[in-house]
Amino acid sequence: MEVTFKLNGETVTREVTRKLTLLRLLREDLKLTGTKNGCDQGDCGACSVIIDGKLEKSCIYPARNLEGKEVLTIEGVSNPDGTPGDMQQAFLDAGATQCGYCTPGMVLAGEVLLMNNSDPSRQEIREAISENLCRCTGYQQIVDAIQATAKARLNGGAK
Amino acid sequence: MTANLKYVGNPNSKAADGLEKVLGTAKYVGDMSLPGMLYAKVLTSPVPHAKIVELDVKPALAVEGVVAAITADDFVDHGFFGWPVKDMYVLAYQKVRYVGDPIAVVAAESEEAAAAGVAAITLKLEELPVVSDMHKALDKNAPLVPLEAQIGEGNLLVEHIVRNGDPDPILAECDEVLDESYTFAAQEHGYIETEGVFAIPEPSGSVVIFANDQSPHINRDNAAAMLGLPAEAVRIIQPPVGGSFGGKDDHVYQFTGQIGKLALMTGRPVRLVLSREESLATSYKRAAADAHLKIGMSKDGTIRAAKTEYLADSGAYASQTPLSAWRASMHLAGAYRYEAATVDTQAVYTNNGYAGAFRGFGNTQAAAASEVAIDELAARIGMDPIAFRLKNCLRTGDTAFTGNVIQHEAGLAESLEWVRDHSGWEEKRKTLGFKSGEEILKGIGVACYFHGSGLGGEGIDYARITLTIERDHSVTLQSGLTDYGQGSRTVFTLITAETLGVTPERILMLRPDTDTAPETGPTVASRASIVGGNATRVTGEKLVQKLNMAAADLLDCSLEQISRHGEDFIGPSEEPLAIETVIDHAFEMGLQMSAQGYWQIPVIHWDFEKGTGTPYYTYSFGAQVAQVEVTKTTGKVQVTGIWACHDGGKIIFPKGARGQLMGGIAQGLGYALTEGFTYKDGYPQKKNFKQYKLPTSLDVPEIETHFIETNLEQGPFGAKNLAEPVMIAATPAIANAVFHATNVRCRDFPISADWLKAQLA
Repeated sequence: MEVTFKLNGETVTREVTRKLTLLRLLREDLKLTGTKNGCDQGDCGACSVIIDGKLEKSCIYPARNLEGKEVLTIEGVSNPDGTPGDMQQAFLDAGATQCGYCTPGMVLAGEVLLMNNSDPSRQEIREAISENLCRCTGYQQIVDAIQATAKARLNGGAK
Repeated sequence: MTANLKYVGNPNSKAADGLEKVLGTAKYVGDMSLPGMLYAKVLTSPVPHAKIVELDVKPALAVEGVVAAITADDFVDHGFFGWPVKDMYVLAYQKVRYVGDPIAVVAAESEEAAAAGVAAITLKLEELPVVSDMHKALDKNAPLVPLEAQIGEGNLLVEHIVRNGDPDPILAECDEVLDESYTFAAQEHGYIETEGVFAIPEPSGSVVIFANDQSPHINRDNAAAMLGLPAEAVRIIQPPVGGSFGGKDDHVYQFTGQIGKLALMTGRPVRLVLSREESLATSYKRAAADAHLKIGMSKDGTIRAAKTEYLADSGAYASQTPLSAWRASMHLAGAYRYEAATVDTQAVYTNNGYAGAFRGFGNTQAAAASEVAIDELAARIGMDPIAFRLKNCLRTGDTAFTGNVIQHEAGLAESLEWVRDHSGWEEKRKTLGFKSGEEILKGIGVACYFHGSGLGGEGIDYARITLTIERDHSVTLQSGLTDYGQGSRTVFTLITAETLGVTPERILMLRPDTDTAPETGPTVASRASIVGGNATRVTGEKLVQKLNMAAADLLDCSLEQISRHGEDFIGPSEEPLAIETVIDHAFEMGLQMSAQGYWQIPVIHWDFEKGTGTPYYTYSFGAQVAQVEVTKTTGKVQVTGIWACHDGGKIIFPKGARGQLMGGIAQGLGYALTEGFTYKDGYPQKKNFKQYKLPTSLDVPEIETHFIETNLEQGPFGAKNLAEPVMIAATPAIANAVFHATNVRCRDFPISADWLKAQLA
C-alpha cells in the first residue's frame, strides 16, 4: 500500500508493506540513519521519533499507519544549514553525549517534553526520558541539557 | 606542572566527537551500507553443551537469496584463537559449550533470506551433561567444558594467590573475626548499540573491515591468522562505537573473522548487525563470582589480618577471566592496612555463557565484597562506618595488603571526608536508620575503593601516537587507542592542543585504522588517558621543537628566545608571528612535520608463583555515599541520592570525567539492584531488555560529584585513571545504606526485592 506523510517538513509518498516498520523505512529506504536501532522491540527508545507531537518508538510503529501524519526525526531538529538546533547544542554543552547512540532519541524526547511543558522540573524531565535507555551518562547531564534548553527558550532563545 | 593550562582541565571543553553525535550524522557500523551488500546471520547453539554430530550448510545454499555459508572448517586451524588462553574458535568446533555459541554464518541478499538460510542448515547435536554451578565445576565427575583441560585437570582455568605474611595466628588472637561469603551474579554490559561488523573485499584480495571492537590491532591479528592472510591484507577500522565498557572484544573478533571470510568468498560487501536477543545470548558478561572473606580486628577497630578466597565463573571460554580474576585477587581485602593477608583465587569453566572484560575488571566484585565486610566490622563495634574506614584506610606511604607500598599521593582519606561533609552524613546517620513502625525505611551508607592503574602485572603497558601538522595548518592525530564513548578522543585532542599551543578546533583525530595508526596495545584497563595521554604529550613536544626551530629561523634568534602567546610565536622583537607563518616556513625548511611518540608505564613486577611483589605502579582512589528508601511491603530499593568523590589526579576533560563518574555509578546501581544475568542449568534467564533491567532515568538519582586532584608526576599533566574505578563503590554503598535503613545485611547481588521483602515481613 501507499502512504503519504510529512517527514521533517517535506511531503513523502512511499509504497510500504504490512510488516514494514517506520524505523526500517527511515533507515533503509530513506537512508536517514540518525534514528538508531537498539533493540527492535520497543524496549530501549534509541529509535524514538516524534509523530504528531508524540514520542513514538519507530521500531514498533507500522509504516502503514503513517498516512497524513507529521514525523520529526533527529535530522529535522538540526538547523537547515546543518548546524545543531538549540537542544542539540545544549546536549553538546552539557557533556550529555558519550557513546552518542541514545542521543538522537534523547534529544527528541526532550523536544516533545518542551512542546507540552515549557518549564519542566527535573523530575518531569526524568519522567519524559524514562523510556529512553542510556548506559553511559547516568542521565544527569541529559537532564541538565533539556533543562538548560527550556530555560533558554523561556528567556527568548531559539524556537 | 599543572599551572597555566589552557585546554587541559578547562571546564568548558566539549567532546571532540560530540557534534556528529548530537546531529545524528555519526556513522556507526549499522548505519553503513553499500550497493550489492549482503546481509549475514549467525546460527547459534540452542543448548548449553553438546557434541556436533552433523553440520551441513549445503541446504542453506539452496535457499533463494543465500550466497554463501560457512563453518569452522572454512578457517585456518578452525579459527582457533584467544588470549591469554587460546581456547576459542571463530565458530564452534567439535562441541558447543553455551547457549548462544556461534556455529555457522549465512550471507544472503536480504535479512529474510539469511534467516531462511540459517533455518535450513542441517545441525545434529548430541547433548552432553551440563555443569552450570561453578562450585560443582571442579567435582571429579563434572563434565569437561573445554576440549582439553587447561591447567591440571578438569575445568580449572586459573589460580592466583597473594601471600603477605601469615594471617592465621593473628586471626586467632583478634577480638572480632568476620567470616562471611558474598555472591555476585553475572552482569551484561548493556551497550545500546549491538555488535556489528561490515567487511568490504578489495581487488587485491585484501579486506577492509569496520568493526565496533575496542582493540582493532588485536582484532586484525586474530582475523588475519584465521583467514590465512598476512596482517597487511586485513585492515580494521573502528567507526564510532555505541558503548562497550569492556564488552566488545572477543566475540566481535569472532564476527570479524566470519564476516571477513564471507566478503572474501563472495567478493561482495557483507554486513552483520546483531539483534538485541542475539547480543544478549552471544556476548560475554561480567563473571559471576563468590568471595569468602575472613577479616579480624581488635576491639578498638584496628583491622589486623585477612584470609580471603575468590571463585569466578568463566563460563564456556576463558576470554579475559584469567586476568580479571587476577585483578580481583589484587583488590580483594580492600584499601586498608593489614598486618598479614592472603588471597586464594580460582576461576573455572562451566556451560554458562562466558565471562570476559567489563568495567572494573574483577575489582567490581572484590570491592563490593570487601566494602560490605568492612561495614559489617564497623557495625560489630558500633563504630561510624566512615570513621572506621578513616582509621584503617591506605594513605601515602602505607603498605597495601598485597605487600607493596603506596608510593604516590593517595586521596582516599580526603575522598571519605568529602563525601561525609557533603552528604549530610553525621546528621543523617542519626535521623535516618531502621524504624520498625515505618513503611518507607530510609538509610545512608558508604563505600570506598582503590584501583590499580593500567594493566599492572598483566603485561607491558605502552602506547604510540602519531601527530602530523598538515600544510593547511591543521593537525592530524592518530592512535590505535580507541574511544567507545569514554572520551579518549577528547582527552588526546586536549593534550595535543595544550602541548602544541594550538586550539582544539585545529585538531582532527582520525578513526583508529590498522593501516595508518600505530600499533598500540589494547584499549582496556582505564589506561588510555594515562598511557595514550603521555604518548600524545611526548609526540607533541617533538613537534613543538620543530615549530620553535622554524620560528627561531624566521626571527633570527635562538630557540630559548622563543615564547608563545596563544597560538602566536614571540621572539626578541616581541612582534607576534602567526602559527600559519611558522608552519609554512617549517615546510619550506624541509622539516618533517610529523612525529611519533612512545610512552610506557614504569615496569613493575608481580611474582605469580609466590604471590608477592608490586601489582601496579600506582592507584586511584575514591569514596561514595548512597542514600536509599526501602518500601517494606515490596522490598523495592529506591536510591534517592549519591555523593561521589574520586581521586583521579589532574582531570583533563572535566565534563567527560564527570559523565564517566555518574555513568559508572548508574552501572553500579544496576549491579546492586536489578541486573543479574542468571542461568538455570546453563540456560540464560534473561533474553531481552524487558527481562534484563538497565537503570532508567527514574532509577538513578541526582548525583553530587567531586574530584580530588592529587598530582601523579608520571601522569600526563598529573592525571590518573578514572573510567573503571568510579563504578565500583556504588554497589556496596547502596547495600550498606540498605542495612542502615532495614538492619538487613545484603550479601548476595543483585539484591532481590522479593528476598528483602521476606526479610522485612
